[in-house]
Amino acid sequence: MAVFRLNFNTLLTLSWRNLWRNYRRTGIMLGAIAIGVWAMIFMTALMRGMVDDMLNQGIRNLPGHIQIQHPDFLDDPNVVNSIAEPSGELLLVLKQSGTKRWATRIKVAAVIASERETRGINLLGIEPDAEADISGLPALISEGRFLETNQDKGIVIGAKLAERLETRLGKRVVVMSQDPDNNLSERGFRIVGIYRAKMPGLEEFNVYTARDTLQQLLHIEGRVSQIILVDEDYREIEPLYEKISQATPPGLDTRTWYQIDSYLAAMFNMMDGFVLVWVVIIFLALSFGLVNTLVMAIFERIREIGLIQALGMRPALIVYQILLESLLLLLIGLAIGNSLAVATVKPLESGLDISIVAEGMAMMGVSSMLYPNLTLYDMVLANSVVIILGILTSILPAWRAASLDPVRALNTN
Amino acid sequence: MASKNEKTRVRLLFYGLLLIGLQGFSALSIATETRPPEPRELIRAAMEHWRGVTSYSEMTMTIHRSDWERSFSMRAWTEGDKLSLVRVTAPKRDAGNGTLVQDQSMWTFSPKINRILKLPSSMMNQSWMGSDFSNKDISKSTDIIDQYDHRLLKTETVEDHLHYTIESIPHEEAAVVWGKEIVVIRDDFVMIRQEFWDQDGILVKEMAALQIESMDGRNIASRMRMHKLEATDEWTEMIVDDIDFDVEIASNLFTLSNLRNPRQ
Repeated sequence: MAVFRLNFNTLLTLSWRNLWRNYRRTGIMLGAIAIGVWAMIFMTALMRGMVDDMLNQGIRNLPGHIQIQHPDFLDDPNVVNSIAEPSGELLLVLKQSGTKRWATRIKVAAVIASERETRGINLLGIEPDAEADISGLPALISEGRFLETNQDKGIVIGAKLAERLETRLGKRVVVMSQDPDNNLSERGFRIVGIYRAKMPGLEEFNVYTARDTLQQLLHIEGRVSQIILVDEDYREIEPLYEKISQATPPGLDTRTWYQIDSYLAAMFNMMDGFVLVWVVIIFLALSFGLVNTLVMAIFERIREIGLIQALGMRPALIVYQILLESLLLLLIGLAIGNSLAVATVKPLESGLDISIVAEGMAMMGVSSMLYPNLTLYDMVLANSVVIILGILTSILPAWRAASLDPVRALNTN
Repeated sequence: MASKNEKTRVRLLFYGLLLIGLQGFSALSIATETRPPEPRELIRAAMEHWRGVTSYSEMTMTIHRSDWERSFSMRAWTEGDKLSLVRVTAPKRDAGNGTLVQDQSMWTFSPKINRILKLPSSMMNQSWMGSDFSNKDISKSTDIIDQYDHRLLKTETVEDHLHYTIESIPHEEAAVVWGKEIVVIRDDFVMIRQEFWDQDGILVKEMAALQIESMDGRNIASRMRMHKLEATDEWTEMIVDDIDFDVEIASNLFTLSNLRNPRQ
């Protein structure tokens, strides 16, 4: 053991000094590793931020983490496919469950008309109290106010829709839809609020009214389209889902967000894979530089290696020495890269404005502010990939150095 | 969603009546009364008179645009203020197109596709046969009397007739987009003019009687023009060529099967 420690210390000293013999080359290699690691972590944080945003937006648009609805509602969002407001056991479970918020809502296709324009919309009858947690809409109101009660007589439309209708806050519009008997139901509403969505596309389609008012208009008193639940964290909704689906009366359909939107679910599930692939790709580029550096370092030292071999150093120790050299190089590079990444991501965590490309991003379901998300998991992943694969790629040059024939090596010019 | 031509919505009974070519009565005269008439009653009285009245008319509708103009000939039957059937007779390529109105519901039939289409609410604001009238204008509704607050603005005498100018402001929750409407009714219930104002007080469109004559014993607006003020060179004119009142109407006239297979 003592012998090994002695050997190890000697090896460490040798490696360390060898590293700085050609400080310029080592410096360049360190730079490459640092930039590579920075790119891995920084880009991953951006990607995570983007995907988180996409998931959050997607879940807010669904909306909710769990939805209860008529089995045909998702395929045919018709007013006919409505359900009764929760009662009995379901209501009890909803009230007792640890869920942060739950609400009912009505969702129907409708037509909105101003004096000059008519457009098709998605009319939502909501419970205003719960909306902050479900869609975050109240925070998006740019003019006027949000709906106040379930009986509110006003209507809240998007800024883009107001522009298209050539109308504005405080004016009246007419909303038309059909009741379950296919009769025309229509009513005038005063615009009490205008919202600006993070995704401009939504502003044109989602129009909000109070739930009870819409029930009256559609002649569906006591009935709603969906029951929406929001849990603490969208990643861990299984227990709540179990509880709710057991209490749901037969004939109703309970679904989680990842069952409803398989695109979001795929996004969520593939993210870890994406990160790994990304890290490995950067490492591959990096590994050529690393191998080249080591091969060059060994090539320069063939005579020296021959000499220490001739003096009795065992080949295994030569391998260790070169691996140690590579490890030191990687560790320093990682230290610089990690600090660089943290230093660049932290200031951006309050949000990165990407509104220049907002239109294209909106198509992907991403808002114009990007919030990088630096996770410990990603940092550990990037660092372990670099160290493990780095050592593995260094084995080949190290093994070549160790298997040099001392006599030939000593005779090399 | 909607066509560019006609997206505004209107809901006054008079439209439907005008369109099928009937207008006004001479029988009743409020002019002799000393007190100015209640404006709401004036409008109601005009509507009440249509109850039980049947008519058959032949009309021409001209749609004018800055770069083109076209005319349709059509025949129309009405019974009271709830039922009407309009059928296009010329030009040839549009002949056979029909529209049936039963109270608030509306169906169209086109022989080219040989199909009856019930107009969904989303299409009610769209243009009727490409004209400046919307489907909503064609399918009339009497409950509109109660959805407005009516106010008599002025009474004036024009060419031996009293003209009542009534301002109608829709109720808060009425399904009406207009800020106000101004209706000018003659004492024999011929509607002289109807104006549609937006909520900012800008006149958006206007329908005016260009010619009033007595046909089959009643005074009617034989030539009406719907004109949008924001597009100066766009209007639709309805000309009543001939009209008969109190005609015999077959019981199956206002039915879907008759819309598809004309029997008269």
